[in-house]
Amino acid sequence: MEITQLQLDALREIGNIGSGHAATALSILLQRRIDMSVPEVWAVPFEEVSVIVGQLDLPQAVMYVKVEGEAPGKAVFFFSVESAEIVVQALLGTDVPLDLFNDEMAQSALQEVGNILVSSFLIALTQFSGIPLQPSVPALAIDMIGASLEAIFLEEGMLDDTVLFIDTQLSGIPKIEGQFIFLPDKGSLKKLLGAMGL
Amino acid sequence: MNGVITVGMADYKTAKAPEILLTAGLGSCIGICIHDPVLKVGGMAHIMLPSANGSLGGNPAKYADTALELLLKEISGMGANKSRLKAKIAGGAQMFSFPGKPPILKIGDRNAEAVEQELKKRGIPLLVMDVGGSFGRTIHFDVGTGELRIRTINHGEKVV
Repeated sequence: MEITQLQLDALREIGNIGSGHAATALSILLQRRIDMSVPEVWAVPFEEVSVIVGQLDLPQAVMYVKVEGEAPGKAVFFFSVESAEIVVQALLGTDVPLDLFNDEMAQSALQEVGNILVSSFLIALTQFSGIPLQPSVPALAIDMIGASLEAIFLEEGMLDDTVLFIDTQLSGIPKIEGQFIFLPDKGSLKKLLGAMGL
Repeated sequence: MNGVITVGMADYKTAKAPEILLTAGLGSCIGICIHDPVLKVGGMAHIMLPSANGSLGGNPAKYADTALELLLKEISGMGANKSRLKAKIAGGAQMFSFPGKPPILKIGDRNAEAVEQELKKRGIPLLVMDVGGSFGRTIHFDVGTGELRIRTINHGEKVV
């Protein structure tokens, strides 16, 4: 489907509202200031995904939630391993170094963060569009970002050559760098835009 | 780095010694490495799905069957002898699992099976198959020696 400038603006607005809520939730959770970039909407071929995520084999903590409901899609939060550690430390009220790869408690805390962020995003999106959306239980991978994203794109054997997603950067002080992306499934894009009269 | 050729997702490249082919962050995808040890040329494909069958078309380098066809054609075009070709593959992981839910489609496993079959069909011996697990892989393939270096974040590094 061809996307017009007006529709791009609408998608950016979805990103703005949803990510704004997610950033606020993260800020409350961690009791610190979280800034958010202006969301960007990308429709890019698989090959160019590295343009957005940078180096494909850098380790990142990826929280992946399937969005269910009338406009299904995928929501993904990812943090650098260092940022994820800071987030978990803030949550658990500790400054002891954590081994995120093996520490189940830390992993479950991260999943919970994913859950809260995505839920906030979806609540905002539902209020805005009138389309009911629910998150699945979050899944977590701490691994090469390219490997994780590729698995997400391909789930259910996605056939499109292009992936469309809304991308927002989150940053907090000190040293939290994260990124949030939302990928509407094929039919969902139409529904979301339709709900906004586009 | 000099002499390192990067292969992106749904992409394939060929090289000649001493060049190295690299693909970073393989998840459920498969990196197919093929070389002719005598002529010291080869190639790598980063495939994402098992088969172009029933697809909506698009980039043929995305599928095991069509990507392999393209890769072999290009390697032959460099003068490689088909009977000397050897293959090594890596990838096909299952990166995520949802608690309480069986994976709907183990796309990594299906990719590995498809690649294995496509190679068999063409009579190309598969020397190394480092597939499965739940972790990403970055691979470097030396088309001269046929050495495949497989790097992971938390599951070690090896040369096969």
